[in-house]
Amino acid sequence: MPGLAATFAAAPGLTAGIAAAPQAARGAVELITEEAGIVPPAGPALRVVPLVEEGAQVAQGAPVLQLRDAPGVVFCAPMPARVAAIRLAPGRKLAEIVLFHDPGGDRHRHTPPAAADQGSGPAVRALIQAAGLWPSLRRRPFGGMPDAAERPAAIFVMAADTRPMAPDPLQALAGQDEALARGLRALTVLAQGPVYLVTPHGSTVPVPDVDGVQRLTAGPRHPQGLAGFRQHAACPATLDAPVWDLHAEDAAAFGALLDTGLVPRTRLVRVDGPALRESRLVHTQPGADLRGLAQGLARPGAHLVLAGSPLEGRAAHWLGPRDRQVSVLPRDPAPAPPHWFRAALTRSARPTPVIPTAALTQAFGAALPAAALVRALASGDDETAMRLGVLSLLEEDVALADYVLGGAAGLQGLLRGMLDRIAAEYAP
Amino acid sequence: MTRGLWDRETVALLLIAAYAPMALTWLWYGGTGALGRLALALLVAGLWHLVFMLARAQPPSLAGAVAALAVAMLAPEDLGPLRLILGISFGTVMGELVFGGWGRNVVHPATVTLSFLGFGFPAFGWPDFVPPVFWAALPAALIGMATGILSGALMAGAALVAALAWANGALVPGLMPAATVVLVLLVADPVTSAATGLGRWLNGALYAALTLLFATRWEAVAPAQAAVAAALLAALAAPLLDETAIALWLARRRRRHGRP
Repeated sequence: MPGLAATFAAAPGLTAGIAAAPQAARGAVELITEEAGIVPPAGPALRVVPLVEEGAQVAQGAPVLQLRDAPGVVFCAPMPARVAAIRLAPGRKLAEIVLFHDPGGDRHRHTPPAAADQGSGPAVRALIQAAGLWPSLRRRPFGGMPDAAERPAAIFVMAADTRPMAPDPLQALAGQDEALARGLRALTVLAQGPVYLVTPHGSTVPVPDVDGVQRLTAGPRHPQGLAGFRQHAACPATLDAPVWDLHAEDAAAFGALLDTGLVPRTRLVRVDGPALRESRLVHTQPGADLRGLAQGLARPGAHLVLAGSPLEGRAAHWLGPRDRQVSVLPRDPAPAPPHWFRAALTRSARPTPVIPTAALTQAFGAALPAAALVRALASGDDETAMRLGVLSLLEEDVALADYVLGGAAGLQGLLRGMLDRIAAEYAP
Repeated sequence: MTRGLWDRETVALLLIAAYAPMALTWLWYGGTGALGRLALALLVAGLWHLVFMLARAQPPSLAGAVAALAVAMLAPEDLGPLRLILGISFGTVMGELVFGGWGRNVVHPATVTLSFLGFGFPAFGWPDFVPPVFWAALPAALIGMATGILSGALMAGAALVAALAWANGALVPGLMPAATVVLVLLVADPVTSAATGLGRWLNGALYAALTLLFATRWEAVAPAQAAVAAALLAALAAPLLDETAIALWLARRRRRHGRP
C-alpha cells in the first residue's frame, strides 16, 4: 500500500504550539516601508566597498556596494531611495546601510545575457551577482553566502516551508511559473549536479520541464520542510561537495531577472506572532523595516520583533536577505537573577543533560540518531558529528530541538561552535 | 522566549506519572510494609541528592524518586533497614550521582542497588508480584509509550522474544509479572536504554532473552533476581547496540549517497 507507506514516511516531525494571530485580510497586500536596510547575510563578516555616498539617490536594483575580495558580487538597493547612512564595522565589514524611500524613484535595469548566452554558466553567474541576488543563496556546510566561483554538488530550491507561521511559498510563486522555470534552468547551469525542487507533501504544483531538475517532497510537519533535512535525505553536504539552497521565490526572481533585467520589487512576507492583534501577509521590499511591517498590529506592551520564525529568528531591525517571516513575541521581563546560594548549588550541571525521548527524535524529524548527535554536540566530538551528518545542518535545523528541550541544551550555540571549529580544522 | 517543556525534570515527572498506577496498586496490596520501604528509599536517595547538591553543586532530580520506587518494589525482602540503606546509598552514588546526575549515568541506579543487594546478601528472598501489580504495569507502559518517554520499540522487542518463547513452550511459569515490572521500571528507562530505533528493538529482545536464559539455566533463581540481572547486562550492552545500529545506518547511507 504505497499510500499508507507515504503517510507514515511523511509523519515525522512536530507542530510547535506557538499561538498565531488571526489574519485580517485573506490576500496579501503590498506594503513598502519608509525605511529599509541592507544587512549582510548570516555567516562570516563581509568586507565591502561602498559604491555610493551618503545622501545619494539610488534607483531600485541599483548597485550600492560590492565585496572587496570579489568585486563582481554586489548588493543592490531594494527600493528607489536616498542613502541615509552607511555603517561599516572595523575592517570595512558591512554592518548596515540605511535607505529612505523615494516614492518617485526609478528602477535600475541590468543587462541580461543574450538568449544564446543564457545557458552559459559564467554569464548567468555574473548577472545574478551583479544584480544583488547572490545573498539569497546559502551554502552548506557552515552556512553563509557561497564564494563567487563555487560550484555546488546540488541545489535545493525550497517551495516548501514548515516553520511555524511561515508564508506558503506556493502562494508566493502564484503566476510565476514561467519565471520559476527560467530560474531553475539558470540554476542547473550553476550546479555540477542535480537541482531539486522541494514541494510540500500532497501539492500538485507542476515541476517545470527542465533537464536536471528533480522534484522532492517535504512532509507536512516541522522540520520536514527545512532545506537541511531534505539535503540530509537526498544529497548530504560534505567538506568538498558543498550544497546550496534557496527559496523558490528567489529562483523565480533569477528567472525574472534573466528575462527582463529587472530585480523583483517585493517578496511575500508574513508578519505574525502571539503579540499581534492580527497577522498580516504582505508583499514588501527585501530589507524592509520590521517595525514598519508590524505597525498598527501589535498589542500593548513590550515586544520582541524577530526576523525569521519564533524558533530560530533573531532580534533585528531589518528583514535579512533570506527572511520571509517577521515574528512579534511578547517580551517577558528579564528574570531576576537567582539567589546566590541557589545559583551556587545548581550551576555546575549546566547545560542540563538531554533525555532521549520520542520528542527529541521527532524534533530531528526521525531522520538521524538524535541522541547520538546531541551527545556529540555537547561533548564537542567533531568526527562523530560529521559522520552523523552535521555538515548538512545549520542553526535553523536544530532550532526545533532547542525549542522542544526548553532551551536548556543550547544546541544552536553548540552547533555553531562545532561548525566553526570544523571549518578551521578540517575544511580544505 | 517561547519554549517547549521536554527538559529533564518534565521527563522525570512524566515517568512518575506513568508509574503511578503500578506504584499505587503495589502500595495497596503491600500495605504498611511497602509504604515503609518506599519512605526509607525516598529518604535515603533524597539525602544523597542533597549531599551532592551541597558538595558538588549538582541540582537534585525527581528521577531519584523513580529509582527509590524501583528499589522499594524490587529489593530482596526482610533485609532490614541497615542493609537497605547501604544498598540504596551505593546504587544512588555509584550508579548515578558520581556521573553527574540523572541523564549522564550509564546504568539505572536502582539496577545497581538491586544487583548489589542480590550479590551482597544472597540469602534473602526476592519479592513476588500479585497479578494486579502485573496488570497495572501495562497501563504504566502504555502511558510511557503514549507520552514518548518509554520506548515502544524496546517493549515490542521484549514482547517479541516473549511471544516466541511462549510459542515454543519455553516460557517459564511465574516469570512474567516480575519480568514485566523490571522491564517497565528499569530496562525501559530512557537514559540507560538504547537510544536508536534498531538499538531499542535489540535492547528489549536482549533483556527478554537474558531473562529467559537466567530463569531456565540459573538454579533456584527467583524471577525478580533473573530479571534484575538481565536488566543490568542489557543496560551495559545498550551503548554497543546503539553503536551497531548507527554503524548499519551509516553503511546504508554510504551505499545510497556514496558518502556518509
